[in-house]
Amino acid sequence: MGGASRNDKKRRQDAASQRLAAAGIEVPVKATANRTPLIVVGVVVLVAVIIGAAVLYFRNSSSGTAAAPTYTASVSGAVVTVGTGKVVVDTYEDYLCPICNQFEKRYSAQIVDALNAGRITVRYHAIAILDPSSTPAGYATRAANAAVCSVAAGIYPVYHAKLYAEQPAEGSAGLTNEQLVTFGTQLGATGDFAGCVNGASFTKAVTAETQKAIADPALKNSDGKFGTPTLMIKGAAVDLNDSNWLKNAIAAG
Amino acid sequence: MIRARALDVVGTLARLGLAAVWLVSGALKAVDPDQTFVAVRAYDVLPSIGVEVVAAVLPYVELALGLLLLVGVGTRIVAVMALLLLLVFVAGVSQAWARGLSIDCGCFGGGGAVDPGHTAYVQEILRDTGFLVLAGWLILRPRTLFSIDSRYSGRT
Repeated sequence: MGGASRNDKKRRQDAASQRLAAAGIEVPVKATANRTPLIVVGVVVLVAVIIGAAVLYFRNSSSGTAAAPTYTASVSGAVVTVGTGKVVVDTYEDYLCPICNQFEKRYSAQIVDALNAGRITVRYHAIAILDPSSTPAGYATRAANAAVCSVAAGIYPVYHAKLYAEQPAEGSAGLTNEQLVTFGTQLGATGDFAGCVNGASFTKAVTAETQKAIADPALKNSDGKFGTPTLMIKGAAVDLNDSNWLKNAIAAG
Repeated sequence: MIRARALDVVGTLARLGLAAVWLVSGALKAVDPDQTFVAVRAYDVLPSIGVEVVAAVLPYVELALGLLLLVGVGTRIVAVMALLLLLVFVAGVSQAWARGLSIDCGCFGGGGAVDPGHTAYVQEILRDTGFLVLAGWLILRPRTLFSIDSRYSGRT
């Protein structure tokens, strides 16, 4: 077996087709394993993967400088107000909510920059709607309480960020009060931070704020429900998939 | 002849139906990437970097499959890919169900943790099985009408 017999076969095929052609019979050329569709499919899928990777890359490249927060916080009920800027942003977040964590990852650097520059005021509404999503229930409220406690302890902006950096998974037990206190101590909490966390000092305020948010018709999303994160500027909900929402809000004054 | 024609029509409907499924589900996921991230994370199978990558790439791969089915290029190979992806989805939903996670499949956007009483695993798996049948048909008999494949195979 080898080239010789293959050539022989080819020669006989050629001779046969010549005879057919001479007789006026056209044999349709059979496309031998047309690879074009395979290549098209491969290219289209590859392009899709590249687009996905590019979107991932650009969404994660935050435009903020992530300078350390220099603003201070004050608290009223379970609403923590930071900054002194003209544009007021109301945020409604639950510390167990994964999308809130995504939101923080993506925009917190921009927000801190704008706060440091005195362009915006943020009112962080400490919300606990995900209490049933930890086992045992109640992590959302404990975390929100600890966050409000951290204002008096003088560590609010960094403690808020820490709670997201250490966010437990939904369905888990959540962080223990001991862990919540330890984070505060590490970040330099002053006063009786442990007493505030363990004593659940702001739990009632968090619950009241949560009820108020759930009942507020202005905060309902397109499904007619209240969810976290919700951001409001001048009474209108912010579209968080618009990555320029903060820039636009500042520009609009 | 008539029978072949009828089978072509069935295949065409399967192809266009499956195309619509991917285009809709891909588009819903692509417009709300945060929600998609949460939906993928809720299955609780991948490490967090894997979740990021899958959540970013999946919507566009779904759109690509939808587009390829819509125009009918390489129908059989695309149907194989669709079948494999659907099997992954069914496996994901099944493991969530078996482990007692309370999640929404996020199949058409949305997704994430839901109240324990509001899961719909049976419906989700049945729906995916329907899509699997469509993909299976196209693998066994990829010939359809109005497709680029048919234009170049010399037959219509």
